[in-house]
Amino acid sequence: MLCGGAAAGAFGSLLGLGGGILIVPLLTLGFGLPLREAVGVSLICVIMTSSAAAGVYLERHVANLRLGMTLELFTAIGALVGGSIAFLLDERLLSLLFAALLLYVAATMARARTVQPIPETPAATELDALAGPARTPTTLDRLSGDGYRVRHLGRGVVGATGAGVASALLGIGGGIIKVPLMHLSMGVPLRVATATSNMMIGITAAASAVIYVVRGGIDPYVAGPTAIGVFLGATAGSRLAHRVDLRYLRILFIVVLVYTAIQMLLRGAR
Amino acid sequence: MNAVTPRPAIHAASRTMAAERLSGRLLIGITYTSVGFLVIGVVLMVVDGISPLSGGPSLDLTTLDTQIAAREPAAFLWLGLLTVIAAPIGRVIVAGVAYARDADWLMVVISVSILLIIAIGVGSALAVRA
Repeated sequence: MLCGGAAAGAFGSLLGLGGGILIVPLLTLGFGLPLREAVGVSLICVIMTSSAAAGVYLERHVANLRLGMTLELFTAIGALVGGSIAFLLDERLLSLLFAALLLYVAATMARARTVQPIPETPAATELDALAGPARTPTTLDRLSGDGYRVRHLGRGVVGATGAGVASALLGIGGGIIKVPLMHLSMGVPLRVATATSNMMIGITAAASAVIYVVRGGIDPYVAGPTAIGVFLGATAGSRLAHRVDLRYLRILFIVVLVYTAIQMLLRGAR
Repeated sequence: MNAVTPRPAIHAASRTMAAERLSGRLLIGITYTSVGFLVIGVVLMVVDGISPLSGGPSLDLTTLDTQIAAREPAAFLWLGLLTVIAAPIGRVIVAGVAYARDADWLMVVISVSILLIIAIGVGSALAVRA
């Protein structure tokens, strides 16, 4: 379990994903745990890796704390809803949802090279210079950072709520939704979006993890070794990232995701 | 001509940066502390010959201290897991306090609301369990 967690943490760290997408299949398909219990353990692992990385991002002032906390409010609402309905849904339905998520991630990774970055919106200061006389800063101005201006907050709110629900139901960090949302839709630079999403993952997962803890959905004997493994794997992965040829790793990962998706589909169809 | 940033704004910005640095250090510190508790729990599991798939006990806060004194693996594991969950919540509290010092009331309301949602989650889960 410790080794499996380490592999999931290293793989996730090398490819810029949280370990959640791998931990749930590892525990359900590999160790025969009920899916809901695996989701609870995965949430713990996701918080751990996110906290360690977000700590570094915050110290270096890469993450946008103000924007992150604003969106966190809505991911937390989503997580509260998701965490509550997770105990009502049939495990087979959750398996099918997870299989769909795996296929979506595999397709996203396969298309990664063809995605073109969109131009970022000019920074608030540049717009102010064009606008002429000083004006009262709007909410969007206050959420913007150095060199960029946040836009489409409404889309961000809806997307963040959805990411929270998905996180609580499937035990993922939700970065796969939040990073494209902030970068492509809200005009946040990719580096800042990644750091801010990482910071948000902690609260998103914590909001649902507390529900899993109270309702007896987390087994400490499983969560302990897996979380340590993920932590060690993620730490090693971040140090190995520049030495590994990510092209082959990406192809291998896509194959693993598709295989795992098929297994989850079969599990859901039983 | 360059605009001159007012002095209070500079102080607020530097306080925000200090809050970010403090939040970052807090997250890293709590994460390492939680790993420490989890490692102790796993070592005790190995010593006691407990299989990870044997089914662990649910959390019982009323007896956690006596279980820790008795060096029960599950108690240290639960302590580690609760510390993991506390890390991002602690970060929100630190940020909320920093925003309150800057009189940034919108962000204070957001911080408090996040904590409230988590509290509602705990409360509703306790109600369902009862």
